[in-house]
Amino acid sequence: MTRILFSDKLDNCIARWRAAGLTVFGPVKTDTLSSYAAIEHASDFDFESVLPDRSIKDLFFPQTEPMLRYTIKKRAIDTEDFAPPNDKRIIFGARPCDASGLAIDDSLFGWDYKDEYWIQRRNESVIVSIACTKADDFCLCSSLNLAPDSSTGSDVLLRPLENNKGWVVEELTDRGHEAFLAIAELLQDGSDPIAPIAAVPEKFDLDTCVAWLQNHDNFESKFWKEISMRCIGCGSCTYLCPTCHCFDIQDEGDTYSGIRRKNWDSCSFALFTMHTSGHNPRATQSARWRQRIMHKFNYFPGKFNVNSCSGCGRCSRQCPVDMGITETLQKISTLQP
Amino acid sequence: MITQEKYRTRVKELLASNSVKMVIGYKQGSTADRRRPLFVRSFEEADELVLDSNCIGNLAGYLVTEGLLSDEKRVGIFLRPEGIRSINILAAESQLNPEQIIIFGFDTSGREVKALQGEQAEDFSGLIDSLKEKPPEKSSDALLYRIDQMNTEERFAFWKDEFSRCIKCYACRQACPMCYCRRCIVDSNQPQWINTSSHTLGNFEWNIVRAFHLAGRCVGCGNCDRACPVNIPLRFINARMAQEVFESFDHYAGTSQTQEPVLASFNKDDSETFIL
Repeated sequence: MTRILFSDKLDNCIARWRAAGLTVFGPVKTDTLSSYAAIEHASDFDFESVLPDRSIKDLFFPQTEPMLRYTIKKRAIDTEDFAPPNDKRIIFGARPCDASGLAIDDSLFGWDYKDEYWIQRRNESVIVSIACTKADDFCLCSSLNLAPDSSTGSDVLLRPLENNKGWVVEELTDRGHEAFLAIAELLQDGSDPIAPIAAVPEKFDLDTCVAWLQNHDNFESKFWKEISMRCIGCGSCTYLCPTCHCFDIQDEGDTYSGIRRKNWDSCSFALFTMHTSGHNPRATQSARWRQRIMHKFNYFPGKFNVNSCSGCGRCSRQCPVDMGITETLQKISTLQP
Repeated sequence: MITQEKYRTRVKELLASNSVKMVIGYKQGSTADRRRPLFVRSFEEADELVLDSNCIGNLAGYLVTEGLLSDEKRVGIFLRPEGIRSINILAAESQLNPEQIIIFGFDTSGREVKALQGEQAEDFSGLIDSLKEKPPEKSSDALLYRIDQMNTEERFAFWKDEFSRCIKCYACRQACPMCYCRRCIVDSNQPQWINTSSHTLGNFEWNIVRAFHLAGRCVGCGNCDRACPVNIPLRFINARMAQEVFESFDHYAGTSQTQEPVLASFNKDDSETFIL
C-alpha cells in the first residue's frame, strides 16, 4: 500500500496550499515558451512536455536582482539593502534534473560566502518533483549518476500512476512532510500500478571523461579547438542551464544615486575574463568552451564532490549550432586518457 | 541529393588543387532534422557534407571569425541567396575580400534543393536583382499582420511583453552575420552605455540598439530568430526595418559589393518626412 495523490484532487490541494499562504509554482507552457511559473489551478500546469524550456534556476537566482540602493551625499553614502523576498512557495512538478540542479548549486551558494538571496529562497520553497515518464534524445541524467526518478534536491518525489490517474507520494524531508500535512486528508492509500519511468540511455562513461579532463596534458589538446569550432559564443547554454551560476555585480544610476544589481553572466562571453589592461586569459572561444566543461566536470567536483551538471540537456536542445555537453563528453569518452 | 553529390565532388576538387583551405557547409546534426555547421578540410570531412532543405542557418558569420581570412587563402561556403547578400554587405563594409570566398549557392523550395549558378559573389547579382523586384511582402505573416494593425500603444505593449522574456544571452547578436564588431556597445563598460540588466529598460535598450544597427543591413536570414532561446520573434523587428528602408530609400540590403550602407550615406533625393 502506498499513499496516492489522485489527479482529480490536485485543484483541492492547490487551494489548501494557497490558503496556507504558499504560492504554488509549476511547469507552465504558453504560446511562446515554457517555464516554471506561479499557477492558480491544476489546469494551468503543463505535465505533457518533457521539461520546461527555462530551468528552475530562474525561481531562485533571477537573471537580474536588486541588492542595494545607494545615495551619495556630501560627506557620506547612504545604502539600503534589498532584503531577500519572504515568499513561501511550493514548486509542484519540478523535474528531477532541475531539483538536482538546485542541490548542486546549494554547495556553491552556501560555501564561503553565504548567498542570502539563494539561501532564503531555498529555505522558503518546497520542491515537489515528479519522476519522468517521458524523455527526449537530449536527456542525459543517466550518464551523470542520476536518473529520471532521482530524489536529489527534492522535498517530495511523486511517481506517476498509469493513465495519468495521479502520483504515489514519497516525502523526503521535514519541509516536504509539513507541506503535505496540509493536504493529508486528500491523499488516499492504494496500490494502483505505477507508470514505467522514462528510458534514458547512457550516452558516455563519465569516469572515463573525468579522467581525461583531469590529465593536465589534455588542457592544451587540439580537441578543444575542433569541438568548439562552430561555437558562436552566445550564452544561451549557460543561461538555460539549471546549474550555471555565474553573475556580475553592476551599479546602475546617475552620479548621485542608483541601484546595485546582481546580473547573470556567462563564461561564453569574451568580456567575462577581460582584464582592465586589455589582456584576456581566455582569448578564444575554444578556451571558453573548455572552461565550461572543465568547470562542470573537473574543478567544481574537485571542490564540492559533485558534478555541476544534472543532465537536463537544455544546452544541447537549444544550441543554435547544435553543440552541447553531450557531444563533447561523448567525444572525450572515446579519446585516449 | 544530386546537388549534394555535385558539391561534394567540387569541394574535393578544390581541396585537392589547394584552391581552398576550408569549406564551410552543413552536416547531420543530433536529431533527424537538425543540421550543424561543418568545417571541411579533408576528403573524409567532405563526405560528411549534407545539403537538403533542413540546411537553414546562414553560415556567413563564420567568415569574419578573427584570423580566418587574414592569410589571404580562399574559403568555400554553402549559402542561400540571403547568405550571398550577407557576403555583399560584409564586402561593402570592408570586412572581407569577396575574391577569397568561393560560394556553393543553393536554394530550396519544399524539399527540393537546387544549385545556384556561379561561385563568386558577383556571379549572383542577376539573381539578387530579381529578388529585389519582389521585396518582402507586407503582412505575409499572420503575426506581422497583427503587429501592423496595432496602434502605437498596443505595439509598445506587445514588444514590452515579448522583451520581458529576454535574458540578454546575446544569442541574436552572436548568430547574426552582420554583428561582427570586435567589441559590441554592450561589452563596453567604461562607460557602461547599455545596462547589462535584463529588466524592461535594459531589454528595450538592447533590442532597439540592435534593430537600428541592422536597418538596411539585415537580409532576413532568420538566424537571430532561430537562435533566441526564449522565442522572441526578432525577425519581425528586422523585417519591418528592411521594409522601412526599402520604402524610404529604395534600399535592398546586399545587392552589390559597392552598395553604400543606408545609414552611412546621403542622397539629395532622400525622403525628408522625418525632419520637422
